[in-house]
Amino acid sequence: MTVLSYLGRRLVRLVLSLIVVSIITFGLLQLVPGSFSDLADVGSTALGDQTSADGGDLVGRYGDDVPAWEQYVTFMQGLATWDMGPTYKYPQTSVEELIGEAFPVSLSLAVPATLLTLVIAIPIGMLAAVKKDRLADYGSIFTLTTIQALPGYLFALLLVLIFSVGLGWLPVRGWNGPEYMIIPVVALAVQPTAQLARYVRSSMLEALRDEYVTAAYAKGGAKRTVLVRHVLRNSLIPLVTVVGPIFAALATGTVFVEVLLGIPGLGRLFTLAARTRDMPLLMGTTLFFAAILMVLNLIVDLTYGLLDPRIRHEQRRGGSWRRSKRPAFLRDSQVFGGDSGDDGGGGKRPPRAGAGVGVSL
Amino acid sequence: MSDGVNELARAGLSKDLAVGGALGAGSGKGVRAQSELGRGWARFKRNKLALGSLIFIGVLVAVAIAAPWLAPMSYTEQDLAGRLLPPLTDGHMLGTDQLGRDVFSRLLYSLRTALMIGFSAELVALLVALIIGLWAGWRGGKAESLLMSFTDVMYAFPSYLFSVLLVVIMGRSVFAIILAIGIAGWVTQARLVRAQVLKMKNLEYVEAARSIGTGGVAITVRHILPNAVGPLLVTTSFAIPGAIIAESGLALMGLGVAPPTPSWGAMIIDGYTYVLAHPHLIAAPLALFSLTMLAFTWTGDGLRDAFDSSEEDHA
Repeated sequence: MTVLSYLGRRLVRLVLSLIVVSIITFGLLQLVPGSFSDLADVGSTALGDQTSADGGDLVGRYGDDVPAWEQYVTFMQGLATWDMGPTYKYPQTSVEELIGEAFPVSLSLAVPATLLTLVIAIPIGMLAAVKKDRLADYGSIFTLTTIQALPGYLFALLLVLIFSVGLGWLPVRGWNGPEYMIIPVVALAVQPTAQLARYVRSSMLEALRDEYVTAAYAKGGAKRTVLVRHVLRNSLIPLVTVVGPIFAALATGTVFVEVLLGIPGLGRLFTLAARTRDMPLLMGTTLFFAAILMVLNLIVDLTYGLLDPRIRHEQRRGGSWRRSKRPAFLRDSQVFGGDSGDDGGGGKRPPRAGAGVGVSL
Repeated sequence: MSDGVNELARAGLSKDLAVGGALGAGSGKGVRAQSELGRGWARFKRNKLALGSLIFIGVLVAVAIAAPWLAPMSYTEQDLAGRLLPPLTDGHMLGTDQLGRDVFSRLLYSLRTALMIGFSAELVALLVALIIGLWAGWRGGKAESLLMSFTDVMYAFPSYLFSVLLVVIMGRSVFAIILAIGIAGWVTQARLVRAQVLKMKNLEYVEAARSIGTGGVAITVRHILPNAVGPLLVTTSFAIPGAIIAESGLALMGLGVAPPTPSWGAMIIDGYTYVLAHPHLIAAPLALFSLTMLAFTWTGDGLRDAFDSSEEDHA
């Protein structure tokens, strides 16, 4: 029951945060120079005609004589019912249709990139932990720290220079089949891999010091068995919760790679909306990003509670609105730098799980 | 208790504070005349990679400032007859771009743009963070819960989304972009400042200052702030490259500094169209960008090793 009431509180809080984000976004967008009717005027001169049926819908929603609060309420109702209406730039389609088309594309980058990260980072982190204080450890830590500093699109460029320009194996840009996925997925995975490998290393080192490991050795366990059965298993618990933020960062942090490589995902849609000052589309994509992040954060916190009874206890004891404990390095997104606070966590700059997790993809 | 003494000994940034530390410890033991910054610097210097990176950053800054004198040509001058020249032709060290502009000159100016925006945006973020963090940490109560709930919202609001929204509103001037990146980036640092204040506000030397009637503002600015310099220096050294990444990211999205002012992001996205035939157009900004990022990272790592006491505490 307590889990349910915790979940309930978190859901209320999630909705409240989303409303705050929506008010901030909408409020900021009211300050954008040029109203909808200005844009429509430009459109009418360019296209000749704008009094089509769709144009009428737009005027009804965002016209000059509709007060701002009413526009906001209409939009939020639309968000809740997943019917956000037409956009300035594309009156023929709707916000939800555009998001619905773009999101699967972004997902098809984020899911493989997350898997790739896991497959590569865990062995590297384990190896570094086992070889602690030897050359391999220093070398890998140095390399990982270094890699973590570079944003994903630099790796994308590097891969393009090597595999498209140099070797001619892969396409330079576009979105037309599996071979178009290779460069973006690998480029996106590099930074989280470095981050996760460092995390695995430190969490393995911690587990290695525990008494049950000594006990397992004392019982005559082989090194490999102890490492895999005891150490790895226990250090995987926190790992589960790391995957969420990494995935969140990837799902929302693909903007630059998408723009660079011309991939029609959510990031490019957001860019397009920002460049054309398309208010409904900007609101829609921003809130969609924020909602993904919040839901994933919630799932992570719940998973953590399920896996670690101590945390569950905390949750029950009622830090009613407090966010639960989670590896500090996952908090900010590194995706777009700016706020890489190193507040002590394992990894250097976590992306804000709002990309936060973002240190910078 | 010995922890507290260490803390105090470490805290001695100025003579004033050293005296406070001695009072708190009840004896002069462990108080050194050398300042926290001085000792951090001594530790930093031993790390050759970090020192080298810092020197490299110094060179970059010098080059950025001197760009107008160092650039062989104007960064706007177009030569439509000599477009997309390969490196080392007609006096163009790195060739020319799609409008026949000298790539080397544009690279120098883009370094200037990146560093100017990176440093200024971080300065804005730091100022906001200091004011709000000190206030929230010292006063507690409402100010604190306001900051914390705002931070929570910001964590769900990816900072680049926020920067983009701000640029959409304010336009693409250098000033607007500095503000957009700075305002989006202060939250983490404000939390750090607040944490530092909370850690220190109940230490003996602060209590001593309070007992002789020093006001809140004076205590935070003169006694607490100087002791938070180390950790702030570390986060700032990581935040500056973050701001540079943000600047080039905005340019990549077509929302950076308005053309023709060069920016790495704009050079990369413009050059990308011609990448197959003229890879040097992106290779040059890519190389300089990466080197700059690495220099900042290694400097930051060095600073962290020098100033972050948590490791020695555990040892």
